[in-house]
Amino acid sequence: MARILLKGISKTFKDETVIQDLNLEIKDGSFTVLVGPSGCGKSTTLRMVAGLEKQSGGEIWIDDTCVNDTPPGMRDVAMVFQNYALYPTMTVRGNIEFGLKNRGVPRNERDKLVKDISEIVGLAPFLDKKPQSLSGGQRQRVALARAMVKKPKVFILDEPLSNLDAKLRNQMRTELIQLHKRLGTTFVYVTHDQVEAMSMGDEIVVMNKGAIQQADSPMKLYQDPANLFTAQFIGTPAMNIIDMQGMKGLNIRSDRPVGFIGFRPEQGLLNPDRPVEGLVLKGDILTRESLGAENIYQIRSDAGTFFVKTFLRPLEPADAVTVAVPHDQLYYFGPDGGRIYGAGMQERALIAGGAIV
Amino acid sequence: MKAANRAIEGPIRAAAGTPMNGIRSKRALLRTIMNVVLRLANAAGLLLLVLIFALPFVWMLSTSLKTLPETMIFPPEWIPRNPVWKNYVDAWNTGPFLHYMTNSVIIAVSILLLQMLTIIPASYAFARYKFAGSGFLFSIVMVTLMIPSQLIFLPVYLELSAFKLLNTHLGLILPFASSAFGIFLLRQAFRQISDELIEAARLDQAAEWKIIVRIMVPMVKPVLVTFALFSFIAHWNDYFWPLVMTTNETARTLPIGIAKIREVEGVGTWNILMAGNLILVAPILVVFFLSQRQIIKAFVYNGVK
Amino acid sequence: MTVWHKLRPYGMVAPAIIIFSLFFIYPIFYMIYLSFYDWNFISPTKTFVGIQNFVDLLSEPEFMQVLSNTTVYTVLTVTLTTALSLLLALWLNRGNFFYGIVQGAIFSPHIISLVSISLLWSWLMDPEYGLLNWVIGLFGFGKLQWLSHPSTSLVSLVIVAVWKGIGYNTLVFIAGLQSIPADIYEAASLDRSRPWTTFTKLILPMLSPTIFFLVIINMIGSFQVFETIAIMTQGGPVNSTNTLVYYIYEYGFRFFKIGYASAAGVILLVIVGILTIIYFKLLSNRVHYR
Repeated sequence: MARILLKGISKTFKDETVIQDLNLEIKDGSFTVLVGPSGCGKSTTLRMVAGLEKQSGGEIWIDDTCVNDTPPGMRDVAMVFQNYALYPTMTVRGNIEFGLKNRGVPRNERDKLVKDISEIVGLAPFLDKKPQSLSGGQRQRVALARAMVKKPKVFILDEPLSNLDAKLRNQMRTELIQLHKRLGTTFVYVTHDQVEAMSMGDEIVVMNKGAIQQADSPMKLYQDPANLFTAQFIGTPAMNIIDMQGMKGLNIRSDRPVGFIGFRPEQGLLNPDRPVEGLVLKGDILTRESLGAENIYQIRSDAGTFFVKTFLRPLEPADAVTVAVPHDQLYYFGPDGGRIYGAGMQERALIAGGAIV
Repeated sequence: MKAANRAIEGPIRAAAGTPMNGIRSKRALLRTIMNVVLRLANAAGLLLLVLIFALPFVWMLSTSLKTLPETMIFPPEWIPRNPVWKNYVDAWNTGPFLHYMTNSVIIAVSILLLQMLTIIPASYAFARYKFAGSGFLFSIVMVTLMIPSQLIFLPVYLELSAFKLLNTHLGLILPFASSAFGIFLLRQAFRQISDELIEAARLDQAAEWKIIVRIMVPMVKPVLVTFALFSFIAHWNDYFWPLVMTTNETARTLPIGIAKIREVEGVGTWNILMAGNLILVAPILVVFFLSQRQIIKAFVYNGVK
Repeated sequence: MTVWHKLRPYGMVAPAIIIFSLFFIYPIFYMIYLSFYDWNFISPTKTFVGIQNFVDLLSEPEFMQVLSNTTVYTVLTVTLTTALSLLLALWLNRGNFFYGIVQGAIFSPHIISLVSISLLWSWLMDPEYGLLNWVIGLFGFGKLQWLSHPSTSLVSLVIVAVWKGIGYNTLVFIAGLQSIPADIYEAASLDRSRPWTTFTKLILPMLSPTIFFLVIINMIGSFQVFETIAIMTQGGPVNSTNTLVYYIYEYGFRFFKIGYASAAGVILLVIVGILTIIYFKLLSNRVHYR
């Protein structure tokens, strides 16, 4: 078990700065997920923690040791790779015990550890097979077992589920969550899939362009995004954003200039049957996506195109609709994308887009 | 395939008996005949091809079992009535053949082992490490790959003579103790291995030499086997280099011994010459028939890199 | 990074690089150096003669004959081998078991020692009792002198070279053909392309890298022909099969004219060098079809 501390980390490849002044604390025993679009620096960050990449500046601490000059094998870190990186010339057993052998663990102890771990991940019948003869899911388990058997302080997983099909991915997700509970070790997990991040992590670090956008619990991220990027990155469909440029008739009370207003598709009320205090938009339905329990509408209004998601309601047949968003479900952002707290609308009900504007 | 289908169609329609179909059936019949003729011609062509390449070897075997007068009989007898096995004994006794054979084995095997020892680390370094001057050093490999040994035998002869290495095994081995072709092949193979695998091994606390020996080398084993076959056959067969670099029997190899039978037995003793020839060819042909696929791959790979 | 880490790659390439420098790179320069000297190998002194060796060579009718022999041999061998093997490849490019056997059969001479092949063909081409004369006799032709007459000797050597090389060339062509994706043929047949058009407009251009490769490799190989000549003809009759490497061998090892032989070696080096450069130029400029 370990706490990881990144202090002022930066990384440059040749002339290109990938990460600049990154500070992060990964809590002991947490399941921390680094999430962001590809090229945001999440994998690089992870690889620096593992020691596979050397940071250009800053310090990495695992517990009370600065590991800047510790080689990867000595950091007590285990990693599961995207393509598993199993040794194709060794059997499953050979793969799992290779790290133990290199540490000089005696044979009988090794056998016991391999036996225990292979039972946990359900590999016992395959120990003498070569990885090439296993299915994708089984290979994934070998990779997990190989990492787990070393009883590392930190468990690092780099997009481990991206090569599995959708069904297996869901199953492995649950298994990983259970595994984390059982081991209680610090897990650091990298993914570009926000759904995966939300469903697995107890701590999520949203990254973009080499900088941390927000690090919080999943619910906090969803309900209280710190900026436009996080707001749009978390949630499906993404938060609707209305650009205040070119919008008239909205009178907003705020200390700072407001650049954007946002609301979540699931908070938009389609043709409300009673008056709602908040933002009201008129528009035409462009597309309807029916997923059974929920329906997603794409609506075009003068304020732009946005999505509305409804639950357990019949599909709306009309083309022209009114959408209302209650005051307390509106998010305000500055022109730089930073969140503005304490802003609100002057009038009680405002109609933007549609008829009035 | 298409033609065959149509050919089957034809006669059935003809049964309907209309004049139109009558013409059709004639055409169809023609097609069937053409088809059969083509197939036969194809089969005959293939057979002829095999004969062109196999008959000389059969003739070699046949001659090697004849008496000298029998070799001059025409039309030829392909299977000698009384096989003269003594030809092989005679061929073997024209020179120190056991000595030649031992030399051939020692030289081809030593070359192979030394090549393995030198090309594996070199190709690994070229494939996996960034180091100053690697481009220049690799260009030496590429230039070597392009220089045939036929081009430089004269200066190498003078060099070996200065080192007092003429007529020694070492003199025949050392110039081939590494192989540019081998480095080229193996470097490609090492490059194709994913970085993740090495990283995984580093996290498993494996030392660099262990990563190379336990993980990387086993992964390129097929390429190593390919190269080994190539190298062994090439040096087992080599006539030029041992001929040029030796002036006495000390280090001479089988191909030299075989070529010398003619000088010992005199011109025209083809039966004994072919017997000797078979001693040289038989092992290679046997190996070839046992692992034809692998050997073809070994040689053709060169062309499709 | 420790010093050891920095030095490790050099240590790993060193044995190979030392071997190459000692036995391939240095000899090239040594040969060029020797080509400007007159030396008989035994005498302790070498006399600098400038370009005299080259002047002598190029004014020597025997050497001109050698150059022309080598060129004729190369041109014939390369065109015949390449053209025939391309035809064979188109014919034999099938996965079936029998075709596998045929491919194996035509390939087999490639792995046989040139000594064996030379001896075998000397016997087959024997003017009196050779099998070849009997076979052409069956078709009503008279006996040929093959290697024993200046008018047929060089062509006879070409036949041996083609026989030995055609299998390898065919299999390389087949590998090239198989690397052309099958859907291209399917698209062509849907476009109602005739076989001849498919061949000239699709297959040939896509095979061009393979053709370049084989032509150059065959040329470089043919320019250095030695074994067949040393065993089958010793350059005769009347110098009709004397080629460059054999010429160098004779002047170096029989007449001990080291400088003169080196100069001939330099000329061969220049020819091979030009061919190699052409190959790499074509390789880097060629159109990539994939």
